[in-house]
Order: sequence, then structure tokens, then C-alpha cells
Amino acid sequence: MDLFYYINPQTLFTIIGGLLLLISGLMTFFLIDKNLECKKLQSDLNKLVRSFHEIDEQAKLIVKTDLELNKAQEELDKRLNGLEALQKTSRLISTTLDEIEIFTRIDKSLMMDLGFEKNLILVYDSAHKFKCRVDLGFSKEEIEHILISLQNDEELQSALKAGNIFSSATQATLKNDKIIKIFRVAHFVLTPILCKNGMLGVLCVGNRSDASAVTAGDEELISILANQIGQSLENAQLFEQVYRSSQILESKVQDRTKQLASALEEVQKISKTKSEFISAVSHELRTPLTSIKGYASILMTGKLGEIPESVHERLDKINKHSDNLVKMINDLLDISRIESGRAEMRFEKHKLAALIENVHDILTPQLREKNIHWTIQIDAGIDEIPMDRNQIERVFINLVGNAIKFTPPEGTITVTARIDEKMVQVEVTDTGIGISSEDLPKLFDEFYRVENDINQYVKGTGLGLSLVKKIIEAHQGKIWATSEPNKGTTFHFTLPLEKNIPDQTLPEGS
Amino acid sequence: MPTHVGVGFSQHIDPITAALEAATQAKTQARHEADLAIVFSTIHYSPSEFLPRIQQVLYGAKIIGCSTAGVITSQQIGMRGIAVLAIKSADTKFATAYVDNVQSQDMRQVGMTLARQTVSDFGQLHRKAFIYFVDGLLSDNAAIVKGMQEVFGNVFPIIGAGSSDDFHFQQTFQFCDEKIMTNAVTGFLIGGKLNIGLGTRHGWRPLGKPRTIDKSSGNIIQKIDGKAAATIYDEYFGKEATNLRSTKLGQMAILYPLGIFLEGEREYLLRNAINIQSDGSIVCQGEVPQGSEVHIMLSNKEHCIQSAADAALEAQRNLAGKRPQCVIILESLARLKLLGRAAKSEIETVKEIFGESTPLIGMYSYGEICPSQTLKEKSIIHLQNESVIILAIG
Repeated sequence: MDLFYYINPQTLFTIIGGLLLLISGLMTFFLIDKNLECKKLQSDLNKLVRSFHEIDEQAKLIVKTDLELNKAQEELDKRLNGLEALQKTSRLISTTLDEIEIFTRIDKSLMMDLGFEKNLILVYDSAHKFKCRVDLGFSKEEIEHILISLQNDEELQSALKAGNIFSSATQATLKNDKIIKIFRVAHFVLTPILCKNGMLGVLCVGNRSDASAVTAGDEELISILANQIGQSLENAQLFEQVYRSSQILESKVQDRTKQLASALEEVQKISKTKSEFISAVSHELRTPLTSIKGYASILMTGKLGEIPESVHERLDKINKHSDNLVKMINDLLDISRIESGRAEMRFEKHKLAALIENVHDILTPQLREKNIHWTIQIDAGIDEIPMDRNQIERVFINLVGNAIKFTPPEGTITVTARIDEKMVQVEVTDTGIGISSEDLPKLFDEFYRVENDINQYVKGTGLGLSLVKKIIEAHQGKIWATSEPNKGTTFHFTLPLEKNIPDQTLPEGS
Repeated sequence: MPTHVGVGFSQHIDPITAALEAATQAKTQARHEADLAIVFSTIHYSPSEFLPRIQQVLYGAKIIGCSTAGVITSQQIGMRGIAVLAIKSADTKFATAYVDNVQSQDMRQVGMTLARQTVSDFGQLHRKAFIYFVDGLLSDNAAIVKGMQEVFGNVFPIIGAGSSDDFHFQQTFQFCDEKIMTNAVTGFLIGGKLNIGLGTRHGWRPLGKPRTIDKSSGNIIQKIDGKAAATIYDEYFGKEATNLRSTKLGQMAILYPLGIFLEGEREYLLRNAINIQSDGSIVCQGEVPQGSEVHIMLSNKEHCIQSAADAALEAQRNLAGKRPQCVIILESLARLKLLGRAAKSEIETVKEIFGESTPLIGMYSYGEICPSQTLKEKSIIHLQNESVIILAIG
């Protein structure tokens, strides 16, 4: 109070005014500062709001991108699942060649795993009518309706036959509308099952719900499956054809074999009858022949009285012809014995070279008569071979005898023997007139005589080579001839090196 | 007497053969006896054909189950098939019940009726949990839980799953003994000397700016940020939003649910839009609190599998050291959609936690009901979407 007492009022007002001025100045400064802070806060808030909006915009972008990614992922998963099911189906159907089995293996569950609630496989039958082979999700009435509608729709069938695939994944067409009506399914793939020879059937898959609309990927998957089914069906059909042909062939072979067996049996019967007949007749002929020959000989001795020269001459002819007849009858008897197995083959080991030398000795007079050269070549390795010596000697006498007969004077007869695997191959070669190719196959037939100049004059029975053949065959060998007319003939025959047949020990019938 | 559990599965095309195969496998593994059979089947099989065969094989067992988009066992995830879990235990009691034609009834009342049926059948044994299957196509079926809680109390574990079909949202089935139903709820009470280990997660994360649900009533959201609720989809999906539910994209929308922030909860509460009304209101399966903060939600395979592992670990912890006798997985079909061919990895992860030989069965659901994993002690039972519930019985 004292202070205010001593200060005059004017000074006091001045001080108060100054103070007020100072306070207002300070206030102004403070307000300006606050205002600046507010503006900064406002700016920060604006930034935050903007960032918030930007973040939200980014979020929208993220959601859209994520949605795309999820869609792609789902499609990819679906494709992978489909491919797995397809691979399983393909593996199953490609390992069978039975058409029914193919459709059994396209199990409904497999079709379901492909991701479609409705599946239908229709295949043409032999009357070219669609027949349902696999169905899933369709009622019997629906299938009946589809079969009739599709069968009657030639336009759609032609389009399918041309290889067109229809799918609700592509742009809607009139045909697509038609398919939706036929199959009563909003989302579908309809594809032909094709093979090289055309369309075998159709495959249709579908889903009712818009949420399971088919995609281009589904279309590809189903067309691959249809191709696979087509291939498997084609393979099965081809196999069926081959199998049927082979069955027919086999049945034909069996029939023919039966016919041949029965013919063979008949031939064997006839042959047996023939042999028996020959054997019987020969025996019957030999006895009177012996008498004829005996009486002729007695007459020729002149013991029953002198006979004129002309009669002697005739009797001599009777004797010679009787000898020929006896020889013929003996040959026939031998053939029939060998054929019927009644001839006894006595297999023993004999030296082939010695046997041939012996034959040479026997035939030396005839060889000398025509001045024919005789050569012999026997492999050193050939020693003793199992044979019936008498019979093989007959073979050589026959073959060499023939060779002498048909070889002109100064000719050559060569006998060779060599080892060919487990056989000895013998060849008797002459430089005679040869045999025509027409005659060669019939050479060993009974009573067959080759027509040539020599045979017209030289007598023969036509049984010699036939007998030779029977003897060689009884030894498990083979005989054949090669010839070149006017150059010569070679008779080849084989004999086993080791005995591989049992002795034919049946006693001679006569 | 120890507990014996067996799981059977069959993919046979014929429903009767499939049922016989699955039930026989389960019965054999459970040493030829069963008190309870849990049956899950995909909609490829007609329940009227297969259920009698399962009853025939597991004669005397109580049967409970439903249709699903896919069945889960240790060996495979079947997009087509029937799975049966058979359980026999002297120390455990099961009581089954069902309520048919629920749509025409008050949901809370339905819940009470269902719970009371099992309680009256159960006697004095210690109750451990209630597990139920409700027609997943019913909107607002979450109210059923409220009715059950009036019988069992607020802290009793109630676990549920919405039965599903093959993503077509057309018809689902529920089974209880010989009864085959649609538009119904079936369930069983489990109790005795066993432990229940429960874990649940979804693994979805919020995206974008938060919005506010200005107006909602029950399970219908009318306004978000002052605009018709469905506008949120228009903003995020653009022109594709019009295809919601009707096409493949519609099915995809379940991958982007609405997430509601709940104070104190470990994860956001998820809601799928099951319908869009003409005024742009969004219809959900469970109630949506008005005034709550809402986001569009997103997840990926890694988070999805990790969340299943977290749920399994939590279930194992809750078993309190007991060896799991069997594991039941109830998970959203949205997870199957998101994981695709990787869905098997999720199950492998769960198997690694519980052991390869632990019998396991599961289904893909339209909506899951489970006590939420709160950061506080007390948990609230919610209807969730996109979540996995892992129930280990030890």
C-alpha cells in the first residue's frame, strides 16, 4: 500500500499499461505458437487419414490380387486332381484288351474324381445304335431320353463325327443349347470318342450348379480322356478281330487235320490191304512159277526126249521170263514186308567202305563190259555205321546197277560218302542220260518207269527204287535224286551215324 | 479298462459297401466294441442307405454325425467317402440327443431342449463337454448355444459344427442313431474320468482401414460406415461382388470374411456373408454386435496351417499331461478352399503334435462353435467362421 501511496497515479497507470501490454504480447505469442502446433497436428491428421485411405486402397488391391491367385490356385488344384484321375484311368484302361473290362475299369468313382457330378459314356453297338456303357448322376429315364434324342439328331452326330468338341466353357451356340436340352445339364463337355475308322461313341460330363461351371481346362482333360478311351477301344477291337481270325484259323486247321488224319488212316488201310494182297498173290504165284521153271528146265535137259532147237529156244525164253517174274515177285514181297514191318532189319555196325568195295566186286563184270570208270571217295572219319548189311548192299547194287544201265560206255560212276552232322550222306553219281525234272518226283513210286531210249530195251520191274526207298526209310534215312538230262544223275541218301531205332525183330512172315 | 478307439474310412462307390468297410475297420480297431460312433460322410452317399449298415456293424453303439464337404482321417482327406470313429471306454459316458425341424422353432429353446435330453440321460457322472452338429445352412443357429448354456452354465465347454455339403449350399444331413435329418441339430454329452483338451484358431488377419457397424440386429448387418453393409464387398471385390455365392467366385468370398474386433479376444470374430438382402444388408450365421469395428479379413496357407498347429498345441496343453486317446477336428470348409491340395499338410501338422498313431477324425463345416481363446480368464462361446476346432480326448 505504501508503494502505491508514493507513486503518483500517472506513473501507476503507465506501469499497469506496460504490464498489460507485456501480458498481451506474451498471450499473442503463445496463441500464435498454439495455432502453429494445431496446424501441424491437423496436417499430421490429414496425412494419417490419407494414409488410411491409401492403405484401404492397397487392401482392395491385395484382396483382388489374392482372389485372382486363389482362383488360379483352385483351377490348378482342380487340373492336378483331374490329371491324377486321368492318369489312373489311363493306366487302368490301357492295360486291358477286353472292351467290357475297359468300361468296368472306368469305375464311377474314377469319373467322380475327375470332378464332375454327371458322366455318361455312350458307345455304338453292332447295329450302330448308341448304347450306354458308363453312367453317373443320370436317371434311367434321362439316359433313355438322351439315347433317343442323340440317335435322332443326325446334325449333332455329324458334328461329333467330324471331331468337334462341345463345351459350355465356350461361347453359347445353337448346338450348345441343344446339348443342354438333350443332356439336361447346364455345364457340360461333350466329346466324340474317335478312332482311325471314325467315331466309336461319345463322352459327356457335366455339373448342374453354376458354382461348378466347366472351364477350358476341363474341356482339354475330357478330350484327352476320350482319346484314351478311343485308343483302348480300338486296341480291344483289333485284338478281338485278330483273336477271332486266329480262332477261325485254328478251327480250320483242326478240321483239316481231322480230314487228313482220316484220309491217312484210309490210305494206310488201303496200303495194308494192298501189301497183304501182294504178299498173298506173290506167294500164290511163286509156287506155280517154280513148277513152270522146273518143268521148263527138265524139258531143256532133254531127259524126256530130244527137243528141236526152236522148242529149246522157246523153253529158254520161258526160263528167262520166269526168272524175271520171280525177281519181281521177290521185290514185291520185300517191299510189302518192309512196309508192313514184317521184314527183320538186323542192325549191326559195318564198315561202309568195305561194303561199297564188295558191291564193286559184284558189279565189276558189268562195269568192264561198258568200260565205265569207277571212283570212290569216302571221308576218313567214316568207319563203322549201324545198318542191315544185306539190305544196304541191295541199295548199292540197285543204285550202282541203275547207274551202269543208264551210263554210256566210257562213262564214270562215282560213289562218295561224307559226314553231315549226325548222318552219313552217300551219293552215287553217274554220267548217264539223266532224268527229266517231271520224272524226278515219281522216281521212287512203285512200278514207275522213266520213259527213255534205254528203258525201251532194258527190262525192269519198276520196283527197284521203291524198294531202295523203303530200306533207307527203315534205317531212318532219306533218299532223293538230282539230275541234269544228258549230264548225269546223282542219288543221295543218308544213314544215321548212331543207331537210334530198335531192332525190327518181327520174324519174317514167309 | 482302457479306452479303445478305432477309425475307419472307405471311398467305395457303393454306399452300403462303403459303410460296411468303414464301420468294420473302426470296430476292429476299437477291439470289436463301441459305445459311441461318430460318422461323417460326404454328400455323395445317401444316408438312408449307409446309416443302417453302420448301425448293423456297430450294434448297440450310439451314433452321431453329419454330412460334410470332406472327411478327415489320419491317412487322407476324402472329398468323397465315409469315415467312422468308434470309441469304447468304461470310464466314459456318452448321451446323445437331437431336435428336428429347428428352423420353425425358437433357437434358444432348441438349445435348451437338446441339452436337457442329454442331461436327463446322463445321471450323476461328471460332465466334460457337449459336442453338436447343426444344419450349417440355418442362419443364426448360434442362438442354440445360448439355450444350451442355460442348462449347462456359462463356463461349460460347448463345441459345435455346422454340417455342410459340397460347397453348393443346398442340403446337409444330421444323424442321431437311426434318425436322418436335415434342418436339425444333433449332439452328445461326454463325461467321466477323461480329460478334454480344446484349442481353436483361425489365422485370418485384418486388412485395410477399420469400419464401424452402424446398424445391426441379431445376425444381420444393415449399415457399415453409413452405407448399406454389402457396399463393403462392392468396394473390395469390384464388379465381381454381384456374383457372390452364385458362382465359383461366390465360393471364393468365404476366404474374405468380415472380422469384428472384440476387446480382450486373441483373434477377430469372423463372419461369412451367407446371404445379401435386397436392401444391401448382409446376413451372417451368428450375431454381430452393433457399433463394433469391422475389417475385411485375409489369410494364406502358411497362416492357416500355423493356426491349426497353435490350436493343436493349445488342445494338448489343455489335456493337462494326459495321453490323447483320439482327436476330433471340426474346421471350416473355407480352410479347405484356401489350402486346396495343401490341406493334407495341415492334418500332418496336427498329427505331428498328437503322435502318428493317435486316431483322428474330422469334418469341414459351415460355422464352428467353440469357447473363444480370450486374453482374460473367462472365455465366451462364439460362433466362428474360418476356424479350426481341435478336440483331444485323453
